[in-house]
Amino acid sequence: MTKYTIKRLLQSVFTVLLVVTIVFLLLRLMPTDYFFTEDELIKLSDAQKQDRLLAAGLLDHPLVQLGRFYTKLFTKLDLGLSRRVQTNKPVVDLIASKFAISMRLGLFALGISLVIGVIFGVLQARNKDGILDHIGTAYTVFVNAVPSLVSYSLILVFGARLLGLPSLYSVRKPGPSAVLPIICLSIGSIAGYMLWTRRYMVDELNKDYIRLAKLKGLSTRSVMFRHVLRNAFVPLAQYLPYSILLTVGGSLLVERFFSVPGMGPLLTDAINRYDTNVVQGIVMLYASLGIVGVFLGDILMTLIDPRIRLINKGETR
Amino acid sequence: MKKLLTLALALCMLLSIVGGGAAADELKELHTYEVGATREVESWNVQLSQMAVDSNVTTNLIDGLLTNDPKGALIGAAAKEWSSEDGGQTWTFILNDGMTWVDYEGNIKADVKAEDWLYGLEWVLNFAKNDSANTSMPIEMIKGAGEYYDYTKALTESEGAEVVKALGLEKFLELVGVSAPDDKTLIYTCTDKLSYFPTLATYNGLYPVSGKLIEEIGVDGYRAVSWDTMWYSGPYTVTSYIHTNEKVLTPNPHYYAADTTKRFDSVTIKIVDSTDVAFSLFQTGELDHVTLSQSNLNTIYGNPSNEWYPYLTETRPTKFSYQIHFSYDKKLASGEPDVNWNTAIANEAFRLSWYYGLDAVPYLKRQNAINPLSGTNYVYTGNNVSVNSEGVDYTQLVRDEIGLQYSNEEYARTDPEKAAEYKAQAIEELTALGVTFPVYVDYWFQGSNQTAKDTADVLTQMFSDTLGDDYVVLRQNTYVTSITQEVRNPQLASFLINGWGADFGDPINFLGQETYGEDNAYYSQVISNINKATDETLIATYKEFTRLVNEAKAITDDQDARLNAFAKAEAYMLQHVLVLPWSYETVWQLTAINDYSKIYSAYGIQNYRYVNWETNSDIYTTEDYAELKAK
Amino acid sequence: MNGEIEMNVHKKTKHIETVRAADADTIAHLSEKELFEYAEFRAQDAERTGYSQYSYWKSVWHNFFRKKAAVVMLCVFALLFVFTFIAAMIGKYNVHSLRIDNALAFTSPDSQFWFGTDNLGRDYWSQVWYATRTSIILAVSVSFGQIFLGVIIGLVWGYVRKLDRFFTELYNLIDNIPTIIYMTLIALMVGKSYMIIALGIIAFGWLATARNVRNLVFMYRDREYNLASRCLGTGLWRILTKNILPYLVSVIILRLALAIPSTIAYETTLAYLGLMDISTPSLGILLRNARSFFLDYPYLLIIPASIVSVITITFYLAGNALSDACDPRNHV
Repeated sequence: MTKYTIKRLLQSVFTVLLVVTIVFLLLRLMPTDYFFTEDELIKLSDAQKQDRLLAAGLLDHPLVQLGRFYTKLFTKLDLGLSRRVQTNKPVVDLIASKFAISMRLGLFALGISLVIGVIFGVLQARNKDGILDHIGTAYTVFVNAVPSLVSYSLILVFGARLLGLPSLYSVRKPGPSAVLPIICLSIGSIAGYMLWTRRYMVDELNKDYIRLAKLKGLSTRSVMFRHVLRNAFVPLAQYLPYSILLTVGGSLLVERFFSVPGMGPLLTDAINRYDTNVVQGIVMLYASLGIVGVFLGDILMTLIDPRIRLINKGETR
Repeated sequence: MKKLLTLALALCMLLSIVGGGAAADELKELHTYEVGATREVESWNVQLSQMAVDSNVTTNLIDGLLTNDPKGALIGAAAKEWSSEDGGQTWTFILNDGMTWVDYEGNIKADVKAEDWLYGLEWVLNFAKNDSANTSMPIEMIKGAGEYYDYTKALTESEGAEVVKALGLEKFLELVGVSAPDDKTLIYTCTDKLSYFPTLATYNGLYPVSGKLIEEIGVDGYRAVSWDTMWYSGPYTVTSYIHTNEKVLTPNPHYYAADTTKRFDSVTIKIVDSTDVAFSLFQTGELDHVTLSQSNLNTIYGNPSNEWYPYLTETRPTKFSYQIHFSYDKKLASGEPDVNWNTAIANEAFRLSWYYGLDAVPYLKRQNAINPLSGTNYVYTGNNVSVNSEGVDYTQLVRDEIGLQYSNEEYARTDPEKAAEYKAQAIEELTALGVTFPVYVDYWFQGSNQTAKDTADVLTQMFSDTLGDDYVVLRQNTYVTSITQEVRNPQLASFLINGWGADFGDPINFLGQETYGEDNAYYSQVISNINKATDETLIATYKEFTRLVNEAKAITDDQDARLNAFAKAEAYMLQHVLVLPWSYETVWQLTAINDYSKIYSAYGIQNYRYVNWETNSDIYTTEDYAELKAK
Repeated sequence: MNGEIEMNVHKKTKHIETVRAADADTIAHLSEKELFEYAEFRAQDAERTGYSQYSYWKSVWHNFFRKKAAVVMLCVFALLFVFTFIAAMIGKYNVHSLRIDNALAFTSPDSQFWFGTDNLGRDYWSQVWYATRTSIILAVSVSFGQIFLGVIIGLVWGYVRKLDRFFTELYNLIDNIPTIIYMTLIALMVGKSYMIIALGIIAFGWLATARNVRNLVFMYRDREYNLASRCLGTGLWRILTKNILPYLVSVIILRLALAIPSTIAYETTLAYLGLMDISTPSLGILLRNARSFFLDYPYLLIIPASIVSVITITFYLAGNALSDACDPRNHV
């Protein structure tokens, strides 16, 4: 197990570095004119533009730049400075100031959707083809049918107008102002958890051991929770650590809508401002979290279901 | 749930009573907003930043030498007096007493001294410290500034950036025409007699920084300076800042002019995703003003019983004077010259048919559906840039020259008869030159911007309605991100509608951008491409215009004569339609702030100073505003 | 599989019985030699043991058409698509020659403007149906492209063991870079036209399908019947298409059904982020635009949103039914 873990971690580090390298080189493909604001393009002479590119080290060969980037990263754990998102602020500090907000909202939403989604999924599976099942399915279909841009707008407006909830996130008084963003974050994932819980539960219910358990005279409740849910939860659990870690990333749309100062809009902002250091930092974070998340998911699965072993199975992803 | 709802409703009602029922007096706290995360501050370093989003905030935090009043006239800020003994070559500024630098918690850190302006300008001109930001105007106007910039640049190349970053004031004072004989006196020497030099003192290129601050946090520290590390000398300090969410400014407790300056107890600037969010925040009383989106305005204006109907007010035009800039050397996507267009636009009758034919009203309605004519613009230079000795605005002089006056009734420039005449003449002359009709006009807008797309649709229809499909046809093209990169540099646009905001208060700042054969004429270089044009008549016209401008520029001893000469040059340019004046921006709003009490200047960074604002705890009604405007 | 075999055996006996009953009289007086002859041994025929009239696709259609709701839904979708053309013909305005008229801006639906007008006073009916057509075409082509690419890659990934490592790494690599980076870079460097965006979504959208297919292939490739098939010398292509693909069809169909609505939603997001060209109206663009007007003029949002919902729901239900019908395990 230990050997496997180490091997896999090493592989992960390799993947993360590869991801970062590719993004690094992709970003260098962007024409350097995007380096300047329209205003600067107007005001600076060509010579001045060259000067600034030179100062920023952008005129070197991309591989030289990459080498410099990695040297700094490995020797000083330094990801460089933000260029325009928050001028000259270290990227690490910038991300550090943002991820907690996204994560807090995301964890709340995840908890809520997990509880509601799983409970409703169980209810749906128990009443398969009953009224509850249909309501649940209708909800799932509805959530998928309406583009999130529209449903968020509706939540924003009705939450703000009819219920008087704050339509802007406030860091100083997060309480009520976090309600609408959390609802927006949850509606989709509730549907997801419902769908999968129901599906896995129904699959399990048709298995022979359940029939046996019922024949043995176990109560429906105990069959449902002790056997079915536990087994149905295994595939869900696999993605749980991944989902938890990815809350750090925030949601682009929700955070923009409610002006949540989190990670969500940071990536697009950084790309649009040619803030390559920030983009690299974020990508590195996302990639590491994603890979670690999957790995933890696999481990969690072996813990819940002793039949599953990771060793020698190669990649379980 | 029902209970909660009732409670919430009751609470809302209570709030609205509290908010609206109070007697009409001034706001203590200001709640304002910016739309979109792109409007967030990027840099707090006033010398380094060139962006309005930054200076709109920093102008409140640090005092420059001078500021403006609501009419645009220069008034003192850090300097109480300024004068020139030799007709504008050297300028002396005398600073106020008792000015201090404080940190964001309001602790006094140092005194504000004249040498702080030296440190500020040194920073701006130092190649290694400032990434060449904000250098153009100081280099143009201050003696030796360019030399110091070149010196630091050369030194960076030979010795490395760290050496240049460590430079003190010695070499700077040796080369650059600026000095501080004592703590309260500052003397600038200009490159020439520049009567308008003081207007540059409202601009961040001429802002101070405390030498002690740089000493304390280092050069790299100051490059990365933030709201909690910077020092303040302006009317406000930042007490809370959450990136892309909210900024709170509170009065600087040690502000030297505290007694004579009216300030808010706090200014909260929120960042919202769209004007609709702003509108809903306004409705719940969380904002003190809101500009209205097209649909909001349409709903309110279309229904006189709407609760906001009596409160609709119009904003003052922004400082940007929008023009249709033609390209005289346009290329096709293949890189080949667009001969058809280039030949047509070089023809004066062709341009005149646009001048008299294009009715801008449908375009103006896009931004201001109720009162489109308030966005009319007949001249090139922006309003409020310069005033003659009788207090007459420079643009009025130009309007007198060309015989067009603004009116609320009609768009005076269009003349269908003349347009038809010139159209016939142009068709005749151009057909002889081998031009095929219709002439295709390539118009570019950002492909992802719906407002721009709507505007393009309006323009397309306007061209078709006023000039005729047989004559010109507007072709819509889209660019992705950068208009400079994708459209201007490859010279793909037939014309661009562009607004110019002044950098300093003199018509040369406008007219100087259009001259022939001059390197620093911005528009000639990047949009009109006139220097690459080949048509002899056109070039002759441009040369004559350039001569007139330079003649006016040479008059330095008589401000009135100078302005009159500029007005003549500008009238010449407009009568030959080298550019086509197009519009000003005005929109509709609901507001508790008297826009006419705000600083209103065509240049500099002073317009967003939250000082001496008149406000009303109630929203102003349309009548109130008409009265305020009349005043 | 068991069920199928049982069924075939059963059919065979029945056949023999009928023959017996009919010819009982005529054969009674014939000699053994007349009755029987030695059959020639043919390997091919030996293989045919248990062969029946079973046809996969026939069963699929048979099962699918039994689900009335799903059929109706598919018809609704087909009608919707056809209607986008009819609507353009019966509408009073042509989408390509709409006139701007500020006086008519935000007219609510009436007899003149069946869906009202937009913010510039242009007929909304013609725009909505034109946009619907654009969106359907985009969504269908993108989904098919994604799924096609995904299935091909997934099959190879799952079946060819040597390539597993390579594809897994490739998957990790692409999956761990946020799609928004690709889309932004594509928009900045290549362009934002419909074609480019569609190709961009396809190029990074095959991942999930491919992985799903790969996992299923993993499950089925070493099943006994496949081992047997391989031992009998069946070719790789035949195993993939005849033995494995039928198990995948249901998953593929379901993915396809869900990919279509998600492409429309994705398009909305791209439009909101400004990563898409807006010169051709699509439902995503209409929805994004309506966002700033819908409080005052809800019809601008409700109409396109309902059409998106109809498309999604029809696909969801029809896709589910078709997916069930495609699963050979349900073919008894």
